Amino acid sequence: MIYTQKSPALLIIGLIILLWGGLNHLGAVDGLQSSLQQAAFKDHVTVKEKFEAELRVATEQAAALKKPAPSMTMPKSKFDGEKAFQAKLSFIFGGAFTLIGLFILLWNPKPGHLDYMVSTIPGVGFIMLIALLVRWGLDPLFANWGKAVKDAGTLSWDFAKIFNLNYVVLGILIGIFVVNVLKIPAWAANGVRLSRLFLKTGVILLGTLYSAAELAQLGALSVVLIGIFVLGSVGIVLFMGKRMKADNSMTGVLSAGMGVCGVSATVASAPVVQAKAAEIAYTIGTILAWGVMCMFIFPTIGHLFHMTPVQFGAWAGTGILNSAQVAGAALAFDPDGIETLKVAEIFNITRVLFLPIIVLWLAAWYVRNEESATQVDLVHVLVSKFPIFVLGFIFMFALSSFGLFAPADHYQGKFFSGDKVKEEKLLKPKQVKLLEGELTKMRSPEEKKALADLIANRKLTSRAQDDLLKASARNPQLDNATRGILENASKAAWHDSPVIKAFRDWIAWLFALGLIGLGMQITGKAIRQAGGTPLVIGSVVGLIKAVGSLIVVLIFISKTV
Amino acid sequence: MQPNSFDRGSALSIFKSDRLEDVAALVAALVIALSVLVVIGHG
Repeated sequence: MIYTQKSPALLIIGLIILLWGGLNHLGAVDGLQSSLQQAAFKDHVTVKEKFEAELRVATEQAAALKKPAPSMTMPKSKFDGEKAFQAKLSFIFGGAFTLIGLFILLWNPKPGHLDYMVSTIPGVGFIMLIALLVRWGLDPLFANWGKAVKDAGTLSWDFAKIFNLNYVVLGILIGIFVVNVLKIPAWAANGVRLSRLFLKTGVILLGTLYSAAELAQLGALSVVLIGIFVLGSVGIVLFMGKRMKADNSMTGVLSAGMGVCGVSATVASAPVVQAKAAEIAYTIGTILAWGVMCMFIFPTIGHLFHMTPVQFGAWAGTGILNSAQVAGAALAFDPDGIETLKVAEIFNITRVLFLPIIVLWLAAWYVRNEESATQVDLVHVLVSKFPIFVLGFIFMFALSSFGLFAPADHYQGKFFSGDKVKEEKLLKPKQVKLLEGELTKMRSPEEKKALADLIANRKLTSRAQDDLLKASARNPQLDNATRGILENASKAAWHDSPVIKAFRDWIAWLFALGLIGLGMQITGKAIRQAGGTPLVIGSVVGLIKAVGSLIVVLIFISKTV
Repeated sequence: MQPNSFDRGSALSIFKSDRLEDVAALVAALVIALSVLVVIGHG
């Protein structure tokens, strides 16, 4: 069988992306970009005004001294940075797709691995084109529209934010639209099947954003919370399945899917309860349908309850069934930040780690309930079915904790370093004098020493000193000017890791590609398959889990880590 | 689930098994991590 379709589609996609890169590079779409990237453009106007004022002063000073006008270059604004990034990405991917598109047109494929691999690239190009359109076009368009409607007073709320019309949701919706209305073109079909690979790669890379110091604060809590809900969900499904007289194999496989992590758990537990192919498909259909619903509803409820990223991440990671949909909901709730996604993934990964326990439980349950069940090799099932991308996540987490990517004690990519404080951020003599007058107001010898060290060094030198002075900034005896100086000194000592920022970008793109592809796999048929008893059991258990975890999270999870 | 119209992989994946897909994801993630370290460096 030859997989690669001789089609000019990839070449055309490559040229379209290249054209966008070229237009950005030449500044030919600045008008369109300024209306899409409104916040970045505002920054551009500020930078430009500041530069023009400085240039005017420098020119006047030079004229007064009868010297030639100075040559100054305007610093790059966020708007310039965004355009340069879009141009760079477009040149890389557009160029690659154009070359491969030409190769496909000229090549005579023969059955084999090369044909199979090359055949996936047009589909990746297809998803990438949609991802670019959504991330750079529709996402900012809806965000601006929602904000404009709110600012104009037409609505008292931002509809784009409340309905989560961001790149994640829009991408999945476009994916669903393409597969159900337009149909996936034959030349792209093989590439769409790479979406799960993108999601798994993204999950592994998420490990780079964590450090042991951070996980230590969430770990025990997530294990207890997840343990209760995983074991509880499995128990309720097994109970309801028996009451509703569903097949043991159907009940068993559904309980794993509802309790642990959706599709992976369903597949892993299927041999243990000797589930038939139709039952696996039915369970996956139920989980996906319920998960899709949760993915759209959870973020809206999260915003209505004014949940923080930590609270929403904990809720999504506990209450939503499928790993991809956990990521989808977390990104839909907080598309610009990564904190929600990280917390959700910590809870989600913790849930996956319960899989071996659930598989053992189901094996024992099934053997007891089904006298005819033949023996299954539990160790073999665990070894052969455990999702090893979870191990990849843990490996990356370990490397991150050992400081391979950023200082080992980084917190969400932020790290403390007194050595990296810039010259212009050091305390000014006037500020030093003000702080010297505040030494007597310090409430303990430790705080006094921390402030004295700050005065001596004109910057913070340790995290302990930062913690002490953060506490002292809450001292009501201090005036606002002093508090401002302490806050700025703290900000100057905290830095964002460029490596972790690069990983965040990679993760966002991998998830965008994966979720668009996931949308392209949600057919009407798959959703219809979720009807009947499994859907009733799944909905009841899913609802109990979602509402129960919402209550527990709101009561027990603090607003910040 | 969609019917599988491919003679390799499944309806949802180009890979023969989940395990193979996991390994491919692991390799891809390592390549990306290494590239980021080479281009940007530590920090």
